[in-house]
Amino acid sequence: MSSATVGSVPAFAVTDPGFSITSAEVHAARERSWYATTEYGLAVLRYEQVNRLLKHPKLRQGSAAWPAHNGVTEGPFADWFAGWILNKEGEEHHRLRRLMNPAFSNKLIGGLVPRFQALAAELIDGFAEPGRCEFVGEFAEPYAARVIAIMLGLPESEWKVIATESATIGLALGVTILDDLPRIEAALAHLYEYCDELIADRRASPRDDFVTTLVNASRPEDGRLSDTELRDAMVLLIFGGFDTTRNQLGLAMQTFMAHPDQWRLLAERPELGGNAVEEVMRVNPTVRWVTREVLEDFEYEGVELAAGTTVHLYSESAGTDPRVFEPGFDITAERKPHFGFGGGVHHCLGHFVARSDMSEALPLLARRMLDPHELPGATWLPDSGNTGPITLPIGFTPAP
Amino acid sequence: MHVTVDLAKCQDHGQCVIAAPAVFSLNDDGHLEYDGNPDDSERSYVEDAADVCPAQAIFIKD
Repeated sequence: MSSATVGSVPAFAVTDPGFSITSAEVHAARERSWYATTEYGLAVLRYEQVNRLLKHPKLRQGSAAWPAHNGVTEGPFADWFAGWILNKEGEEHHRLRRLMNPAFSNKLIGGLVPRFQALAAELIDGFAEPGRCEFVGEFAEPYAARVIAIMLGLPESEWKVIATESATIGLALGVTILDDLPRIEAALAHLYEYCDELIADRRASPRDDFVTTLVNASRPEDGRLSDTELRDAMVLLIFGGFDTTRNQLGLAMQTFMAHPDQWRLLAERPELGGNAVEEVMRVNPTVRWVTREVLEDFEYEGVELAAGTTVHLYSESAGTDPRVFEPGFDITAERKPHFGFGGGVHHCLGHFVARSDMSEALPLLARRMLDPHELPGATWLPDSGNTGPITLPIGFTPAP
Repeated sequence: MHVTVDLAKCQDHGQCVIAAPAVFSLNDDGHLEYDGNPDDSERSYVEDAADVCPAQAIFIKD
């Protein structure tokens, strides 16, 4: 970056535990400059620039080197991470994406909507006490994990395995990855066992479902998914779909509790469920930043971007950019798209599932839980990277 | 076959380019360009492109 501009460019201390990516400091910086500098590299703050850099051919997805940066260069976890579609680029990535896409298509997921609805109703019926719940433990977590069990065709009673092993693999994204490696690799091995059984079962007796669609995926020039690619894809569904959905549901409750009129509207008009998901993900996305890495030196809007620079695209900052959006939270508004599912060639593979399951859950919750309000005791992940509530006690009036 | 893209909805993610590279491409500015009348041999690829489009902006007419 050119030193001449550094004086007027905001700088964030992102690794400071007190840093909040949705703070007034970040929003004020956005009014001064389209980007800020951080310990990692660059933070992009405005809608237009996030939109362009998200899809820019001179940037690649930014997490591929993470295990190596932390001293993990070989073994089952390093192999899985390297094989993960998110960390592939070019033709190798495109082949996997073409073969995996049909299993994640809207058509296949549409048939699961009645099961999502039944699941949401069952969980609300099962709250331990009338008029209050611990929203993450009693709803968001089992809902997110059981949606994945439904997708994979696993018994829904196995949901705790999904939740536990996925959380353990999630430790790999923390700075203690090297210490946690034995546990992470044991969790991966456990999930592989499940996946291998499912693959063998669907080969022997195909069904009209997600795993069968993956197993049978083939294109003349792409061949088929190998056994390793199949189980990597399934672990990706578990790992990529569980935490994110749980966190996003908790964040949705946070936003709606601050906008009770919108919650009442959603209860009255459940067909707004889809819009509600988009509006929540615009102003309160769980994926607070999308990571990219500069592939080759180039100039963008007067800034020299050097190869290897990490670029974080700030989704909430872009989603509330006053150059593009009227202020406020309104589930009836027509808005430009948010960046809560990333974008470009790495656009979230599971977004149809996430959109569908959350747009069923939220109106049901709104109809059953009137006037929700936060009770003391909530705990939160840091407000950067991927965020959301760890626990979220909520009081409400049960619907008559 | 006849293909149309609702360019007001299209967000230039390029998923269609991955699915059907003979029909869809992104230009130097990152914006979508496409062949509205591709050969019928492209049909299954274009159908994949329409299915995968995150904005659901691709429409096929016979």
